[in-house]
Amino acid sequence: MSGILWETDFHAALAKAKGSGLPIYQDFWFDG
Amino acid sequence: MNTGPYSEPTVAAFLHEQFLPVRTECFWDNPTEPMRRFDVKWTPTFLVHDPEGKEHHRFVGYVPTDDLLAHLWLGRAKILYDSDRHAEAIPLFETVLSRHPAAGAAPEAAFLRGVAGFKSSHDPKELRRAYDRLTAKYPQSEWARRADPYSAIPL
Repeated sequence: MSGILWETDFHAALAKAKGSGLPIYQDFWFDG
Repeated sequence: MNTGPYSEPTVAAFLHEQFLPVRTECFWDNPTEPMRRFDVKWTPTFLVHDPEGKEHHRFVGYVPTDDLLAHLWLGRAKILYDSDRHAEAIPLFETVLSRHPAAGAAPEAAFLRGVAGFKSSHDPKELRRAYDRLTAKYPQSEWARRADPYSAIPL
């Protein structure tokens, strides 16, 4: 594992979660 | 993008094994639909959702690696707890306490572990044990005070 591959579309992640049964970890960030 | 705890291989591996990791950028001058949907008021804000998208755990502000991993385990445990799968939640609460005993999320895990134990066994001693654990290990925590009524339960 070289790094985290982030999903940026919550709805896409939700579809994957429903398919896989995995929970979602969501990080709201600000590039200030 | 993967700085701080995210730069650590153990965190990256854990996130990919146990979760679907999502990053959502915030724009304060024009809040996005996800910001409004989840009522995000500050960054960083971290959420743990079940596979149906229901939120079960939230924490706000930077957290170092040990705290982050504890919150992730606690989030997984709370998904089971909130679904009344108490016996399955107990080992995850115990994982928080055994692997991350100094983390900020640990007192909440100790409290909920006691409640989950009571709900799965109907034995009130589980609540008393939670009180004993909290007063012994986390006496200054709010969770120890929340458990105070359980001190009257005989062992």
